[in-house]
Amino acid sequence: MTAVILDGIVLGLAFGLLGVGMTLVYGLGGVLNLAYGQIVVLAAIVAMIVIDDGRATLVAAVLGVLAAAGVAVVLDLTLMRPVYRERGEERTLLGLLLTLGAAFVIGGVLSWRYPDGALYIYIGGDPVSILGVPMTRGSIWASVIALAVGALLLLFFGATTFGRGVRSVIQDEVGARLVGINPSFVRTVIFALSGALAGIVAMTNAMVGPLGVNAGFELTTFALIVTVVGGLGSVAGAFLAGVLLGVVNSLSAHYIGQYITTIILLGAAALTILIRPRGLLGR
Amino acid sequence: MDLSWRRVGWAVLPIVVTAAVLVILPSVWFGDSPYTTSLAVQAMVFASYGVGFNLIFGSTNQLFLCVGALAGVGGYGAAILVNETSLPMAAGLVVGTASAALVGGLLSWIAVRRSLGIIFTGIVTLVFSLAFANLLLGQRDLTGAENGLVVEGVPDRLADDHVGGYYLFVGLLIGFLVVFRALQLSHAGWAFRALRDDEVAAELAGVNVARYRIYAATIGSAMIGLTGALLAFSTGFISPATYSFDRVDVRVLVFVAFGGLGTLLGPVIGASVFAILDQQLTTSFEKREVLYGVFIIAIFLGFRRGVVYAVLKLWRRLVPTRRVGDATR
Repeated sequence: MTAVILDGIVLGLAFGLLGVGMTLVYGLGGVLNLAYGQIVVLAAIVAMIVIDDGRATLVAAVLGVLAAAGVAVVLDLTLMRPVYRERGEERTLLGLLLTLGAAFVIGGVLSWRYPDGALYIYIGGDPVSILGVPMTRGSIWASVIALAVGALLLLFFGATTFGRGVRSVIQDEVGARLVGINPSFVRTVIFALSGALAGIVAMTNAMVGPLGVNAGFELTTFALIVTVVGGLGSVAGAFLAGVLLGVVNSLSAHYIGQYITTIILLGAAALTILIRPRGLLGR
Repeated sequence: MDLSWRRVGWAVLPIVVTAAVLVILPSVWFGDSPYTTSLAVQAMVFASYGVGFNLIFGSTNQLFLCVGALAGVGGYGAAILVNETSLPMAAGLVVGTASAALVGGLLSWIAVRRSLGIIFTGIVTLVFSLAFANLLLGQRDLTGAENGLVVEGVPDRLADDHVGGYYLFVGLLIGFLVVFRALQLSHAGWAFRALRDDEVAAELAGVNVARYRIYAATIGSAMIGLTGALLAFSTGFISPATYSFDRVDVRVLVFVAFGGLGTLLGPVIGASVFAILDQQLTTSFEKREVLYGVFIIAIFLGFRRGVVYAVLKLWRRLVPTRRVGDATR
């Protein structure tokens, strides 16, 4: 039982980290980035290429994260410009469709050029016993990184001037502009941050198990579920929802079965929308 | 509402022209090639899905990202019923269509009751799609999971690589277009236009927005379910991939938007263009995916309101005196 719950927490932190990048972009500009999973895969493939080239894993990871952030910035500067000219639901819809197109392009190019591409970061050493349960070092590292990133994000949004500026744009775009904040610049920075987060997700997932080139759609789906359950735009909500869903996932996968588990996770997202559309910690 | 014969004539004209073109197409183009015929059948199937989706999303602003799942409810419902019992194909079609209509109506009822916006309706229906796909994989005994399900009892001449099968789906599509146009001309069409332009204003003008949304979703889902069920019988084999989200929904959304949301012929034009595109891009699956993505982006950056609107706009500029009534868009 303890082992199942610990597994769930490890998975949940990965879910949370995955959801954060999507929720930030949605909270800021109302764009659900459907290319998010493909950006994660892109970071993994870049890291794989660098490792195959004989470089150190750390260098590869950093380059992978930078590549993901770079692609996100390019998306923001090109495709997102016309999106932000729209308002309300028109904006969300156009954003949805254009990022869907981007998802096809990125995913298609990657699986065309690297049909068997996969990233696995092996972390050696014996399993460490936590509460009597042996945990692999890879999953411990992944969880620690996820927690650290979550804490840094909360600190960034809570304590820095720029972070507060971002929150002001989330609350009221026009108001933020009136006090001298440039929403367009803030959005670009957050898109870059979201891309970097996608890159970090790729690295932590690869520490737990191989991340294949075709994982994009599934990653996007999970990010979407976490985002919805946690509350659109909420960092803490994404992590809370991630851990909850992760624990539910491993409990049900262990005691009931995998097919039902996916349906339960999807049901949780649907129920959240129906009962509490703002999500757990949404505004 | 004045329904003069002249107006009805103008309103039905596009359907008659479309029917004529589709009917003569096999004899002048692809009648002798089973491969091209099956591509044409696929275009008709997608156009039929598109009309149903257009009724739900284009007319009443409910983003149903579960076209594949609704077609699957129809297809699997019909196939399982006919395979497990000795009932005829017609019974399967009726049950499949009714189940899809019920599911679609229920989803719409939920969306209306909880007043979900476009995006949340989209997410809830997407979640339904994914859950349905998992259900198909999980219920191995009934559905055969990934291995698929062989559907029996189909007359050979209606198979999807025969001209008979093509005419079957052309008939279906034309039937759907007639229903769509009839709805546009009726009281429902007036309500659809009102609630699409401004929901609050429509409600104030006495339109029962909730009821018309549920109507549209039920009828549209019935169309999608019937198409899915007929497809199951026509191909004689279905699997989760036949009705999967990435094969059906993404495509339908894109080509309906390309043709023009809410327009009569948008889905037909969109489906045909995409079928031709598919035929040209028979290289590798991944390359096709990339081009597909580029195409999606180009469409939505370029002409957002669809081909039909672009043509109508040009037409109005060329023939300024004739005002094409809003009802016949």
